[in-house]
Amino acid sequence: MKEGFRQAMAWLHTWTGLIFGWILFAIFLTGTLSYFNDEISHWMQPEVPVRQVSSEASLTLAQRYLQQHAAGAGRWVISLPSARDPGLSVSWQMPGNEGRRGPREQRQLDPLSGEVLQVRDTRGGDFFYRFHYQLQMPHPWGRWLSTSAAMLMLVALITGIITHKKIFKDFFTFRPRKGQRSWLDGHNAVGVLVLPFHLMITYSSLVIFMYMVMPASILVAYQGDTDSFFSELFPASESPKAQGQPGQLLALAPFVERAREHWGGGQVNLVTVSHPGDVKATVNVMRSSADRVMYEFGNAVAFDGVSGAFLTADPARPTPIAIAGSFYGLHLGHFAGPTLRWLYFICGLAGTAMIGTGLVIWLGKRQLKHAKSGVMPFELRLVEVLNIASMAGLLIAVATFFCANRLLPVSLAERGEWEVNSFFIAWGLSLVHALVRRGRAAWVEQLALAAGLFCAVPLLDALGSEQSLRVLLAQGDWARLGFDLTCLGSGVFLAWAAFKMRRAGQLGGKAPARTARVISKVEVN
Amino acid sequence: MLLPVLLSYSGFTALCLSMDRHHRDLLARTPTARVRRLLQLCGWALLGLSLAAAVLATGWSLGLVEWCAALMASAMLLVWLLPYRPRLVMRLAALGLLFSPLVALALG
Repeated sequence: MKEGFRQAMAWLHTWTGLIFGWILFAIFLTGTLSYFNDEISHWMQPEVPVRQVSSEASLTLAQRYLQQHAAGAGRWVISLPSARDPGLSVSWQMPGNEGRRGPREQRQLDPLSGEVLQVRDTRGGDFFYRFHYQLQMPHPWGRWLSTSAAMLMLVALITGIITHKKIFKDFFTFRPRKGQRSWLDGHNAVGVLVLPFHLMITYSSLVIFMYMVMPASILVAYQGDTDSFFSELFPASESPKAQGQPGQLLALAPFVERAREHWGGGQVNLVTVSHPGDVKATVNVMRSSADRVMYEFGNAVAFDGVSGAFLTADPARPTPIAIAGSFYGLHLGHFAGPTLRWLYFICGLAGTAMIGTGLVIWLGKRQLKHAKSGVMPFELRLVEVLNIASMAGLLIAVATFFCANRLLPVSLAERGEWEVNSFFIAWGLSLVHALVRRGRAAWVEQLALAAGLFCAVPLLDALGSEQSLRVLLAQGDWARLGFDLTCLGSGVFLAWAAFKMRRAGQLGGKAPARTARVISKVEVN
Repeated sequence: MLLPVLLSYSGFTALCLSMDRHHRDLLARTPTARVRRLLQLCGWALLGLSLAAAVLATGWSLGLVEWCAALMASAMLLVWLLPYRPRLVMRLAALGLLFSPLVALALG
């Protein structure tokens, strides 16, 4: 009975892992990149300088700019520079016709001089962030697909723990250079050692989208009216309506200090002003989510913009929302400082590696049965092609996205979209390449290409840059330097992987018997 | 973050040494039952200390997160070093044990 149960779990693990492995690999890799969302965006808009200025000083500049250029707007949104994102951005919406909102305008300002910066059009790190849960599909299909993938990831994790019976005995075990055995060891090691992260990230992603996955309780409690659930959950700072009488807006900077006093310390990342020229102008000061582990669904203090009076503040959250907020916060990791952020990134890579090794093992086990005949059945060939394109191909696509950011002309129309297009074109081409080339050759060539592209990223940055390395160092622009170094490191690692893959291919031809023996052992375990 | 990492790395090394196979690989001898028990005890105690260090430094919510991160990072480092640099494993653990009181003192 017990063996039967374990075998059933192994079956489930094998097949959920395979069917959703490709998509989960992409979700994990782009999600991992999203831990450096701000840093990637900063690298992709090198026109934004790193300045050491206070929130108050940049807020004053932003207010001056908006009063000159957007005095009649219905709402101002000012995003202040932070430790990770040095940009000061302002956006506003002019009232449109017939009470509708007009088009949204956005500008990047120099936080020191207040001048408008001419920045290149790019989606930045936000592209990866959106992709990792929307998968570039129309709403809501992408969210549904990624949520289903998360659900099956949870299934794969739990069945994986059950299947891997010697979880504690093998806790410290990794035996390299033993073919299939090493892949399995590696798969188990990254799975078990980083298990807390895997469980947290997968479970929290279900919490984030729980209104989609398990809507029953919401539907019952609110009698099918999900909108009122959301308006209760996110009390969108109710601002009074405009009166139509002109009013003089106070200086915004002191509100930041008053909000901090209200919270007892903390950082401000966003300031919004509703009806800026009206007597009923309202100023909302939002707290940065970097302050706490728990993610707060809106933590704002509202002031009357003309009299300066304190209006309202978002109340403390009840326990269930605080728990959901904690999972949300843990998933996003906004609170993480540099060290913890790197560890988040490494854990994410470990998760990606776990999925990747799983896919390789699935194929490796079955391929060997056909090693002698040399003819691969269609379904195995299909898995091989998808493995190559979804892993090596995705790496090529990511590197192409970065290269395109430096190579596409700044004046190109819809430039940001073309960066995204280049990502998908590169990915598509890698699929075609995997179809025409033989398995191992395709792996080696695609890994080598990805290595070359990643190594080219820092070169392109240096060649196309107006700031020299010395200027970057003097400015303390560690995000940009770190990005370049990380790309170089990834390039070197991928080159090593390509080299190993090639050599393993040459050796593999000589000693198939030994590998087959190891495989039969693996299957016994 | 440094102190929890040092402590948990040493703790995991002790737990690793409490297992026959790894003990033989690292020290080329089979441990007696008493040595195994002692190593196990030290290992768990060190992991507990690293939890205390993380929570005392940054409070429960961030401390628990940092502790988990420290555990995962040090375990990954250890498992990756074991086959490639077995000598370094022991040296790092010794350094961890040596420096953690100093770091604790420095942090107050």
